[in-house]
Amino acid sequence: MSNTQPRLPRPVESERIPLRARKVSFSWEDTPLHWVPGDPFTTHTINVLHLLLPAGERWFVHVYKQVLPYIRDERLREDVIGFIGQEAMHSQAHDAVLPHLKDQGLDPTPYTAQVDWLFEKLLGDRTLPPGRPRRWWLMERVALIAAIEHYTAFLGDWVLNAGELDRRGADPTMLDLLRWHGAEEVEHRSVAFELFLHVDGSYARRVRTWATAFTALVFLWQRGTRFFMENDPTLIDGRATFKEFHRRGRRGLLPSTGAVIRSVPRYLSHSYHPSQEGSTEQAVAYLATSPAALAAEKSRESAA
Amino acid sequence: MKPRPMTLLIAAGAALVVRRAVRRRIQGSPLWPMPALDPPVSGQPRSRALRLLVTAHERIADGVVRVRLEGHDLPRWEPGAHLDVVLPSGLVRQYSLCGDPEDTSSYTVATRLVEDGRGGSREMHEQVQEGTELEVRGPRNRFPLVEAPSYVFVAGGIGITPVLPMLRALPEGTEWRLLYCGRTRASMPFLEEVRKLDPGQERITVVPEDEDGRPGLDAFLADVPEDAAVYCCGPEGLMTAVEERLPKGAALHLERFAPRTAAGGDGEFEVELRRSGRTLTVAAGSSVLAAVRAELPNTPYSCEQGWCGTCQQRVLEGEIDHRDELLTDSERGDSMLICVSRARGERLVLDM
Repeated sequence: MSNTQPRLPRPVESERIPLRARKVSFSWEDTPLHWVPGDPFTTHTINVLHLLLPAGERWFVHVYKQVLPYIRDERLREDVIGFIGQEAMHSQAHDAVLPHLKDQGLDPTPYTAQVDWLFEKLLGDRTLPPGRPRRWWLMERVALIAAIEHYTAFLGDWVLNAGELDRRGADPTMLDLLRWHGAEEVEHRSVAFELFLHVDGSYARRVRTWATAFTALVFLWQRGTRFFMENDPTLIDGRATFKEFHRRGRRGLLPSTGAVIRSVPRYLSHSYHPSQEGSTEQAVAYLATSPAALAAEKSRESAA
Repeated sequence: MKPRPMTLLIAAGAALVVRRAVRRRIQGSPLWPMPALDPPVSGQPRSRALRLLVTAHERIADGVVRVRLEGHDLPRWEPGAHLDVVLPSGLVRQYSLCGDPEDTSSYTVATRLVEDGRGGSREMHEQVQEGTELEVRGPRNRFPLVEAPSYVFVAGGIGITPVLPMLRALPEGTEWRLLYCGRTRASMPFLEEVRKLDPGQERITVVPEDEDGRPGLDAFLADVPEDAAVYCCGPEGLMTAVEERLPKGAALHLERFAPRTAAGGDGEFEVELRRSGRTLTVAAGSSVLAAVRAELPNTPYSCEQGWCGTCQQRVLEGEIDHRDELLTDSERGDSMLICVSRARGERLVLDM
């Protein structure tokens, strides 16, 4: 063993708040196919979220339900319970966008059925003997979720600050969905990582699952954007290229390539803690003005 | 070593062929080489929020308005189904659908003004008007028309709304009868429509209380055939009266105007957890979840209000009083959200 003190993750205590799911609903009748006007590439790159999140966040909930018995810390358990409800709601909210895409002639089913397979089968509960193998697979998935949540928080923080989308006249309902979701991702960004540290925390596992998650996200995203661009009924020769992504990133319509690359060493740093990134204050401030979150608050009060 | 031009050419050619082959596969299968899940799960949300336009808001009886909500490509529904309507204030109310189930361009509901109600009906009457946009969810059916050799319907006032599409949907030649009661003839909606369904006037008994007094339930329910399905929708008092007069075990289907509140149905019942071999009591006013958590602290849950779905559990026996806003009709058959839903009877058996 080394005789130097290991650098431990340092949470920023002021960034912690109690978590609570909000029941939101959006109606999509008035949202155009290209909801960033005149920019199908940006629209579809962001639309990939609707392809991945319904199955992905359903899977988060599925895995976290199984991890509850391993939690020995009451405060963390409460956070995980709040996290589960928020994720369940995210999954439902993005799922409701899919029929709208289909109505507009862009049927997402070929892609989402394969994402469903990925999360339900490949990453599902495998037939493993109880005991160590089963625990290993559960911990592997918990670590994967922590790595993915690093990116959802990154994207959440980005969309809360993406003023360029407003300036381009992006559809307000879609922006509210993205920012409500982004704000909740920022709000609960520490939970997945703290849970991983609590139940396992091995550094080798963190690196391994990060590599898997990052590769998978890049793969899924580029195929998703390509799928949308090629099948968009209004585009004759729709293409998705990395160059387009890079250019949008420079204009602030998508996350910049540099920011994506810089986020890598941060997650792999020994002293990383998600509370060091993004701002809970900003997230809470958005949730206090989000039309969907306000409506949720209202119906909660009327139910109480 | 310097590669020979021929080798380079072959390598480039092979790369091109592979690229084209992969492209072709991706066209049909966007995430190739992954297979697809059959049947897919995503893209079929349990309930879709729809924003519909009020195109008619008319008084059809004393204190009753009929509201027509227009949209396009609306989900079809079965008789007995209701809509969740989000009122401008954010209140959510359930209204039975009373139009044509085949009509995918509009939904029709009718609502009575409840003077001392919780505010929903007043809003529907006074704030909502032609041109208002309303958000609706559903339709959902917790009062479905089952197959039976004969049918008996009892409707009280506005309780006629779910019954009307049922009468229209019954196959020709089915044996049925209806007792339709109300305070006054002028306050009873859809009298004309109901009459049209029974040209001979033998199947329908209309009882306005101010003319004929209390409905003669005893006589009407005296000779209900044993295998008849009995449907009742109306005020709580009427439904209790019908329940009392029917033999135990009769196929009685009730539809309440409002979810039973603490005064009515938050009573105590028993829950058996079959797999863990325990039986617990859910106290009046408490939830199944609270009782289960006391025994099994790792039971998953989250929102505790019946919409996130985390606490869904399989039900093996017992009749469920569903109070959530999430599950589909088919899921309601054998599962429940234990945070809000309760037992209709005295006992439930859960698979946990």
